Amino acid sequence: MLAITYTINTLLFQEIVPLMLILITLLPIILLGRLFKQWLKSIKGMFFLYIFIIVLNTLFITDRGLSFAIAMILRITIMISAFSLFFLTVDPNDLTLSLIAMRISYEYAFSFSLAFRFVPTIAIEAQNIMDAQQSRGYEMQKKGIINQIKNLFPLLVPLIISSIKRAFNVAEALESRGFGSKKERTFYFTIKYSTKDWIFTIYLILLSITLIFIKINFTSMPLWFKWSLPV
Amino acid sequence: MKENDSFPLIMIHDVEYVYSNGTVALKKISLNINKGEFVAIMGQNGAGKTTLIRTINGLIRPTKGEIFLEGENIDSKTIATLSKKVGIIFQNPTHQLFSNTVEDEIKFSLKNLNLDREEIQIKVDKVLKEFNLEKYRKRSPLNLSGGESKKIAIASIICRDPEILIFDEPTLGQDAKEIRFFVKLIHNELKKGKTIIIVTHSIEFTIEHPPRTVLMSGGRIIADGPTKNILTNEFLVKNSSLIMPQVYQLRIELQKIGIDVPKEVVKEQEMINFLNNYLENKTTTLPEGRLKFL
Repeated sequence: MLAITYTINTLLFQEIVPLMLILITLLPIILLGRLFKQWLKSIKGMFFLYIFIIVLNTLFITDRGLSFAIAMILRITIMISAFSLFFLTVDPNDLTLSLIAMRISYEYAFSFSLAFRFVPTIAIEAQNIMDAQQSRGYEMQKKGIINQIKNLFPLLVPLIISSIKRAFNVAEALESRGFGSKKERTFYFTIKYSTKDWIFTIYLILLSITLIFIKINFTSMPLWFKWSLPV
Repeated sequence: MKENDSFPLIMIHDVEYVYSNGTVALKKISLNINKGEFVAIMGQNGAGKTTLIRTINGLIRPTKGEIFLEGENIDSKTIATLSKKVGIIFQNPTHQLFSNTVEDEIKFSLKNLNLDREEIQIKVDKVLKEFNLEKYRKRSPLNLSGGESKKIAIASIICRDPEILIFDEPTLGQDAKEIRFFVKLIHNELKKGKTIIIVTHSIEFTIEHPPRTVLMSGGRIIADGPTKNILTNEFLVKNSSLIMPQVYQLRIELQKIGIDVPKEVVKEQEMINFLNNYLENKTTTLPEGRLKFL
């Protein structure tokens, strides 16, 4: 919910100051989750994309390109931070349970959480594939866009094939353990909306209302709110 | 004589490796391997075996310590350069197969060596013949059995003619015929003067073939020496979550019924020879029940 709310809210603005304020509201949540180091790491990973955004926007947008680039970087940072928070804090099993609480059928909810569960596995497999190909003299960096695209085949084909094979294996393993044999099923753990959840939901609603209000009345906002760089 | 000939082929000096999550995978590893040696690296899961072999061709760089190949520090060398000398055949062949045909799969490894077309074709034909894969030449490598896929993965490294061959779990999931083929292949490569390292959990394979074993536990080398000494040491073997070799177990059982098998008998054929000799020269009859056991 946090990830989606923040993503929608960031799409409301194109100006540096409001986006910066939205990012600031995220920071306490990141600190509260003790995820500052991991968050910083994922932001660092985006460094090249940031440079790319700045170069492209300053080159092609003549009117205040740099300001727009910074605003876009802030927007992406907020979205990444919100989604990182989600992936770093939510257990796939809890995700299944919460989807079921939202009356989504167990088969779909389970598939959804299974997809998340396999993200780290696929990352490890991608690394193994890279290692195996590099042992055959495969070079990661090649010059020219066509060569770079061609260069992806030795990595992507084995990754896709092993993922499909794994999907079949998992499906067989699940069916052999009676998955989907009963329509109605019970759960060992159940989740309930706690006071903390309510506080957090109210916080998100209030934040969204405030931001929508600011957006509607943007013209009457103080000048510093619309501040941008001269370039 | 080249100056480098005085050095061991692989010299690992005080190597440590720490993963980004803080896991210390290798702790002060020092190991020398000479040209033409056949070495097994054994140990329980998580002992650091695979991490260690990955450092040898630069896939991962040690956090501390140095690795030398033919006396040269590999620190500044790229993986592409190192892969010409060190070929690693990974456990799962599906991790590297992607081409439309088996032939193309082998060609991919050779193209990375920047050879000309004719030379590549000659090498491909040779390796396909050697591996008995000619009939699959135009078949997709993705539709072959596990054993055949493994053969292709091995062939695609051997065709590059690296000086050092490293196999990660080569016997895993292989049937007896495939293992026999693998053993023959290894001995052929040894005759050519190659250095072979295998990472394995198979104590039965290790006791029969590689003369030297390196035993790892918790990121350290806990033993390094002749295979028959290491794999008959109960303390070492059990601490590495392994089971004593069957021939060793049989020797102990025979000792219990009064048949003294010399300690040198560690391989299957040695035990067969001993028993044949024993039965031929035996003068006293064993009690009936015990004879049945034999």
